Amino acid sequence: MNIDTIKKEFPIFDEKIQNNDLVYLDSANSSQKPKVVIDRINEFYTKEFSNVGRSVHYLAVAATNLYENTRASVQKFINAKDKNEIVFTKGATEALNLVANTLGQNYLQEGDEVLITELEHHSNYVPWHFLRKSKKIKINFAEINDDIEITLEEIEKKITSRTKIISITHLSNVTGAILPIKEITELAHSKGIVVVVDGCQGAPHLKLDMQDLDCDFYAISCHKMYGPTGLGVLYGKKKWLEELPPYQGGGGMINEVKKDRISYGNLPNKFEAGTMATAQVIAFDQSIKFLERIGIDNVVKHEADLIEYGQELLQKNNSVKLIGNPKNKGGVLSFTIEGIHPHDVATILDEDGVAIRAGHHCCQILHDKLNIPASSRASVGVYNTRNDLDKLNEAINNCKKIFNQK
Amino acid sequence: MNLKELYQEIILEHGKNPRNLGKTDNFNKDAKGHNPLCGDNVHVYLKLNGQKIVEDISFEGSGCAISMASASIMTDLIKGKNEHEAKEIVEDFLGMIKENPKLNSENLKEDEKTKLMCLSGVKQYPMRVKCATLSWHTLISAIDNTQEEINSEKLD
Ligand SMILES: Cc1ncc(COP(=O)(O)O)c(C=O)c1O
Repeated sequence: MNIDTIKKEFPIFDEKIQNNDLVYLDSANSSQKPKVVIDRINEFYTKEFSNVGRSVHYLAVAATNLYENTRASVQKFINAKDKNEIVFTKGATEALNLVANTLGQNYLQEGDEVLITELEHHSNYVPWHFLRKSKKIKINFAEINDDIEITLEEIEKKITSRTKIISITHLSNVTGAILPIKEITELAHSKGIVVVVDGCQGAPHLKLDMQDLDCDFYAISCHKMYGPTGLGVLYGKKKWLEELPPYQGGGGMINEVKKDRISYGNLPNKFEAGTMATAQVIAFDQSIKFLERIGIDNVVKHEADLIEYGQELLQKNNSVKLIGNPKNKGGVLSFTIEGIHPHDVATILDEDGVAIRAGHHCCQILHDKLNIPASSRASVGVYNTRNDLDKLNEAINNCKKIFNQK
Repeated sequence: MNLKELYQEIILEHGKNPRNLGKTDNFNKDAKGHNPLCGDNVHVYLKLNGQKIVEDISFEGSGCAISMASASIMTDLIKGKNEHEAKEIVEDFLGMIKENPKLNSENLKEDEKTKLMCLSGVKQYPMRVKCATLSWHTLISAIDNTQEEINSEKLD
């Protein structure tokens, strides 16, 4: 894989950002977009636009076909068994809300327990919290170990006879820890527990195989996968999607509407109410093709090299403290610098053209546990190079200099 | 953009060794402020005497150098002023951070204005303005006894 040529596919790197070459280390937040994706959106609106699934005119039929093509590409990309197991949403957040809400309506009873982890992003906690209020369910937290991982043993320890759902991240957006989803699912299923995976960080960085992982639901964020914003994917096993009630009501999701009764459409329409993010869905096909062209194995290898290199570099930098040391990790390096608040770090790094994220990264539970209000996070994508991490390290040194540190 | 203007020595110094950090003994007014974006918290304590003069003022909290320095300098300047003067100074400071080129308050001495102007570098960093203003909004809330936590995201 030639990184120089991949980087050239992303127009943003031709721009000067405040007179600097962009060192973009915020892909866990959202990735940059390759030209094929940007062009596809433009082309669709310019030459092919129509709403999908409603009218019989030429453009509507063509757009519907394109829309459905992306669904087929996603199915193939994540190796789902059935095309109708792919539901488009406005993001991973909506996908997780859909799952929590509908499982809450149909499946959970008062006193039932949902097991999540201390690593979860707020979007895999708050939707369950709603049920804590409305359904009087209980939420348990699997705890991190010293390396800031969640182990299979810890999950096993936290399962009780009331555990109905395990909802966990595939890859932590703070420490990069990869959770043993396949093993957790096997254990959960042996006890009749449903498994929901927040795959936001898994999808851009790992090879996905739904049939192998065997989880019941998997939420994907397209804007972190070199795709457009406003789009997510919910994978759900067919038997579950068929059983669950619709999440939103409106056009497109119905079968028959009468004054005294309404029946709902088949999968996946049942879960795609209203006009969807048509252009984004159609352009997302290009993101998948882009990733397939590079090859996920190459992505994994390239990013593993970057993370290893970055980790060594930052470990050598005194006063930088890396957060967590998971054995199995990808994509992300979070750290603190002694005596300098992450927001000051991010502002100073930005001046050198190095874009990172500072804050709690929507993981307040984890930061509270670590007893830090915030951290700095550098995260990588296919376009990053070792040179970007050198620049990060230099910018950190500059930051220390401004704060009069050696 | 100029980092040197933002991170002046006086800011770094106040950020590292904030004045009036802690909880005022026998405070009679207080308020909390929170910045949900970065998770920063501040708690401002006031002790007003019978003449409504700020006899003592302090703050608790954690945050970036800008927010700590801002709270530190604020508490230094407000001590000894009466309630009315304090509010006028807050207005003047917020006006300066938002748009005014300088401070106009007649309740601040020239050297106090100079000290406060050290925070003006933040104007060039829109994302950081809230770091500098959170403790000031919280001070107003304490004086007015609104009992409502200040949330930086709900301020304009
Ligand atoms: C782990 C994780 N879960 C959920 C989300 C939310 O995803 P989306 O932006 O697609 O709603 C994010 C992204 O911020 C994330 O990193």
